[in-house]
Amino acid sequence: MDTYIRLFSRETKVAFKRWTDVLTGIILFFLIALLFPLISDSDKDFLLKIVAPIMMFSAFFASLLSMQNMFKPDFQNGSIEQLLLSKRSFVGLISTKIISYWVFTSLPLILVSVFIASIYFVSGEAILIIQLTLLLSTLTMTFINAFTAAITLGIRYPGALMTLIIAPITLPILIFGSKAIENSILGLDISGPLYFLTGMMMLSLFLGPWITASALKISMD
Amino acid sequence: MNLKAIYKYGSPPNFYRFVTTLEPWCFFFGVSLILIGSIGGLFIAPKDYQMADAFRIIYFHVPSAYMSMSAYAAMGIASIIGIVWRSNVAFAAAKSIAPFGALITALALITGMLWGKPMWGTAWVWDARLTSEFVLLLLYLGYIMLHASIKEQKRADRAASLVAILGIINLPIIHYSVVWWNTLHQASTISKMDSPSIVGEMLWPLLVMIIGYMIFFIAVICRGSSAEILIREKRSNWVKEI
Repeated sequence: MDTYIRLFSRETKVAFKRWTDVLTGIILFFLIALLFPLISDSDKDFLLKIVAPIMMFSAFFASLLSMQNMFKPDFQNGSIEQLLLSKRSFVGLISTKIISYWVFTSLPLILVSVFIASIYFVSGEAILIIQLTLLLSTLTMTFINAFTAAITLGIRYPGALMTLIIAPITLPILIFGSKAIENSILGLDISGPLYFLTGMMMLSLFLGPWITASALKISMD
Repeated sequence: MNLKAIYKYGSPPNFYRFVTTLEPWCFFFGVSLILIGSIGGLFIAPKDYQMADAFRIIYFHVPSAYMSMSAYAAMGIASIIGIVWRSNVAFAAAKSIAPFGALITALALITGMLWGKPMWGTAWVWDARLTSEFVLLLLYLGYIMLHASIKEQKRADRAASLVAILGIINLPIIHYSVVWWNTLHQASTISKMDSPSIVGEMLWPLLVMIIGYMIFFIAVICRGSSAEILIREKRSNWVKEI
């Protein structure tokens, strides 16, 4: 346990050092969400209709772009190899790394989403549902992105390729996430999509670190 | 499964010999079945009372749609074998399936659009099957691009295989999430075995076409993977003898 806590605090220090990487996601999230009403229509009914897809879309791109350099610096300075050589299980260490990355890149999005929701005229309970949906879906997306970042480690400009690999895999999460938000705004039942998102989250929590670790091993030998 | 067979055909020279003897047979039977099926479908089968002659495009559309999915399954299985047994042959097979799989997926989409234009009035609808077929095309492209952009052969093989396996796990989830989202495409007509909603005269060319496509696809893969193996093993002695 001690090792994991020390790794987490090390990741915290690194995140504060590389604050530009961390901020990329939040800035992108803001920009996409703010530009949409400006270039389309700022009518209240229209905005309430599109808030669900916009929320998921901007969260998708924010998490994608903030994570494309997830393992690269650590890979270049050799600290990932040190993790691999450690006595502890590599999978456990990698999942600590992924979760700490999620805390710094995606948790701020969930806080910021209150502001975004209010400029889209969402009110009441729906704001909480938006936060819950983002919590579940960004966690899943983080694991998928971590896998893709690990597998494209050797490529110089992985951005477009990462999007191509991630987009089909993330599609169900985007669909159900935006369904949950939409239903909560319309006052319909939200349990179905939320159950699905939770299931996907659990699946990625178990499968994600393992498959990311094997992807890293492939990229390293 | 017999492990000895895997080891026997897992060695490149044996696999090469097996594949090159299989290829002409598959090519011959595949092409002749496709010819028979096309003649049966285009000239012998009766007109549909609603769709007239336009329905005949299903003789090309349905087999390509079938093949696009079975090719992905084959690619995924080859990837799993490659990852588990570190078999170079399986990686070569998976790699040679990918471009033809992408091609036949594109073919299924295009024939579907050609059929949809007169029948539904639009070439594209945001329907579950169309969308998941399109997503399948994206999965193929992701595999091909990832494989192409990693320089080192072994790493490229294993990385792309992981993506293919993840795609196999995800494909049903993607399919059902899109189904839940929206559906307009008509249900398939031949899987209902007890009461098929298609008459026999229309059915047999379709079945012949599906089998023909499958055998022809095997021939194409044999060709692709034998070429791939020759490239990979170009330094070994048995290749120099050929």
